[in-house]
Amino acid sequence: MSDACQDISQGHPLLEHVEVLGNERLAKGVGLVTLKAPRIAAAVEPGQFVHLRIAQGRDFILRRPFSIHRAEGDDVEILYQVLGRGTRELAGMGTGTAMDAVGPLGCGWRVADGVSHVLLVSGGLGAAPLGMLAERLAERGVAVTVAMGAPTDDRLVARELFEGVARRVEVTTDDGSAGMRGFVTLLTQELIAAGEFEQICACGPEPMQRIVAAQADAAGVPCQVSLERLMACGIGACLSCVVSTREGHKRACVDGPVFDAREVVWDASEVPPKH
Amino acid sequence: MTFSTDMSVAIGTLSLRNPVITASGTFASGREFADFVDLSRLGAIVTKGVSLEPWEGNDSPRIAETASGMLNSIGLQNPGVEAFMERDLQWLADNAADTPVLVNVSGHTAEEYARVIERLETVDNVAGYEVNISCPNVDEGGMVFGMHCAPAADVVAKCRRATERPLIVKLSPNVTDVTDIARAVVAEGADAVSLINTLLGMAIDATTFRPKLARGVGGLSGPAIKPVALRMVWQVANAVAVPVIGMGGIMTAEDAVEFMLAGATAVAVGTASFVDPTAVIRVIDGMAEFCHARGIRRAADLTGALVAEPDA
Ligand SMILES: Cc1cc2nc3c(=O)[nH]c(=O)nc-3n(C[C@H](O)[C@H](O)[C@H](O)COP(=O)(O)OP(=O)(O)OC[C@H]3O[C@@H](n4cnc5c(N)ncnc54)[C@H](O)[C@@H]3O)c2cc1C
Ligand SMILES: Cc1cc2nc3c(=O)[nH]c(=O)nc-3n(C[C@H](O)[C@H](O)[C@H](O)COP(=O)(O)O)c2cc1C
Ligand code: FES
Repeated sequence: MSDACQDISQGHPLLEHVEVLGNERLAKGVGLVTLKAPRIAAAVEPGQFVHLRIAQGRDFILRRPFSIHRAEGDDVEILYQVLGRGTRELAGMGTGTAMDAVGPLGCGWRVADGVSHVLLVSGGLGAAPLGMLAERLAERGVAVTVAMGAPTDDRLVARELFEGVARRVEVTTDDGSAGMRGFVTLLTQELIAAGEFEQICACGPEPMQRIVAAQADAAGVPCQVSLERLMACGIGACLSCVVSTREGHKRACVDGPVFDAREVVWDASEVPPKH
Repeated sequence: MTFSTDMSVAIGTLSLRNPVITASGTFASGREFADFVDLSRLGAIVTKGVSLEPWEGNDSPRIAETASGMLNSIGLQNPGVEAFMERDLQWLADNAADTPVLVNVSGHTAEEYARVIERLETVDNVAGYEVNISCPNVDEGGMVFGMHCAPAADVVAKCRRATERPLIVKLSPNVTDVTDIARAVVAEGADAVSLINTLLGMAIDATTFRPKLARGVGGLSGPAIKPVALRMVWQVANAVAVPVIGMGGIMTAEDAVEFMLAGATAVAVGTASFVDPTAVIRVIDGMAEFCHARGIRRAADLTGALVAEPDA
C-alpha cells in the first residue's frame, strides 16, 4: 500500500476469485456487471477500482482496471463501456463465469467531515466511480448535487441511482435528447459560480475534468478528479500509469486514481477520449 | 520416492535458496507485492534500475499491449540512489532481511554506473549488482552501452573496480551476436550475465495514425519473446563459463525449466507478475513439483541438461 493512502485508512489489496452474478446491457455498448466478491466488497471505499483478469489463456495478457460503481453485501457492480477486446469479452460473460480480481486498489475520493454540500460531475462513463460516493455521502447526511452529461439520453447511466440519493440532478446531452443540449461543463459553469458547494468531485473524459478543474479553481472550491491511465500491474510497481503532478510523476494506480485537481499538471499525456 | 529436491543454486559466490528471482522493473523493490508474495521464499529480489540522480522517465502513454506481450517505455524512472537507499533498501532490511537483494544499476556514463555502486557499497543489505547495459528506453546510456563490445567492456571494467560483490551484467537482445557482448563483459570480470532485456519494438494505432507509445518505440516483453530469449540463453551459456540468468516471457514453471535446460543457472519472472501478482511463487512451487515428479534431486541438475537431438 502506498504512503499516500495511509492517512485515509484504505486497506490492503487482495487477490479474490470472483463470479459473475448478472450482466445487464444498459445502452448500446454499455453494461453493468455484478460480481460476487465478498472480500473486496467489504473493503472497498468510493473511488477505488479492481484489476480484472478477463483474458485468461488468450493472446492478450494484461488485466483491465474498472472502478467499483457500487458495493452491496457480498457483491460489487461495475459499469463498463465496450471499447476493445477486453471489454467485449466482459460484455459476453454470462452468469457463473469465474475470474480473478485484484482489489480494492488505489486512493479514492476524500470528503472531509464537516463538508455539507458536494457537487459531483460526471461525463459519460465518469458516473462509474461516483455511484458509491453519492450513496455514501447521502448516508453521512452530506447534501449532493449531480451534474451529468452523456452523448444521448439512453447513455445517462446511473441517473436513477443519483436521483435516488441526490438533492438535485441536472443533465445535459450532446444531442439534446434529455436535459440541456451541450456538454456538462455548460452546467457546471453556472452551478459552481453560484457558490453553494464546498467541494467538487469530477470524473469523465480528461478534457472535461480539466475544464471543471479550472472552473473550480476560479471559484476557489476544492476539486478532486479521477484520472485514467493505461495500467499494467495496478499495484504501484511498474510505473506504467504516471500522471504529471506539481511534485513530479505520480502513479494513478496507488497515488490516484483520485487526485487533487490543483496538483495535476494537465498535459498531452492524457489517454485519448473514448467514443 | 521419499526425497526432497535441493532447490538451491549458486551464482558465483552468491547462493540462492532457489533459482527463481524477480526481473528488474517488474517487482519494484518488493514492497508493492508484499500483500501477495512471501518475500522470504524468493531466490532473490532484483530491484528496479537505480541511477545516481533521480530520473523522471518518459511521457505517457508508457505501455501498449501487443499479441501475447506488451511494450513499455518507462524510461528508468527512479528516485536516485540516495532516496533508494533511504526508502527501498531500508524497507527491505526491515521486511525481507533473509532474501538476497540484487540492485539493478543504470547510468548515463560508465562513471555514473560506478558511482552508484560506490554509494551502495556503504550498505550491508546489497548482495550484488545487476548492471543494466540494455535498457531500450533512454537516449543516453542504457542499451547504447550494451550494443557494442568496447563500451560494454568499459562500463563493466569500471563497475568491477568499484566492488568485490557479485557483478551480473544484463545483456540486450538488440544486437547482431549476443555472444560477442557476453564474452567482452566476462573478460572484464562479470561474475554472471542475465538476459534478455526487452526487444525494441513499436505499436501503431491505425485509427489515429499515431504510435501507441508517447516515445514512439519501447521494449517488448512477455510470452511473445520467449523463443528469442531461449535461443539467446542457449547461445550465451555455450559461449561463456560464468552462470547465466535467463528471462523473457516466463509465465509458468515449465517455461522456467526450459530456460534451465537451455543453460540458465537461475531464472527471472517479469511481466508475469503483472498478470498474476503471485506468479513468482507459482513458478517456485511448480519447479519444485516438476523436479520431485521426475526424481530430480538437485534443481541445479537441470542447468544445461538439454538433450541435443529432438524427439523423433
Ligand atoms: C482506474 C481506472 C478505472 C477505470 N474504470 C472504468 C470503468 O469503471 N468502466 C469502464 O468502462 N472503463 C473503465 N476504465 C477504462 C478501462 O480500463 C478500459 O476501457 C479497458 O481497459 C479497455 O480494455 P479493452 O481490452 O476493451 O480495450 P483495448 O483493446 O485495450 O483498447 C481499445 C481502445 O481503447 C483505448 N483505451 C484503453 N484503455 C483506455 C482507457 N483507460 N481510457 C481510454 N481509452 C482507453 C485504447 O487505446 C484503444 O484505442 C478505467 C480505467 C482506469 C485506469
Ligand atoms: C515495465 C518494465 C520495466 C522494466 N524495467 C527494467 C529496469 O529498470 N532494468 C532492467 O534491467 N530491466 C527492466 N525491464 C526488463 C525486465 O527485467 C526483463 O528483462 C524483460 O521484461 C523480459 O522478461 P519478461 O518477459 O519476463 O518480462 C523492465 C521490463 C518491464 C516490462
Ligand atoms: S499500473 Fe503499475 S505502477 Fe500503476
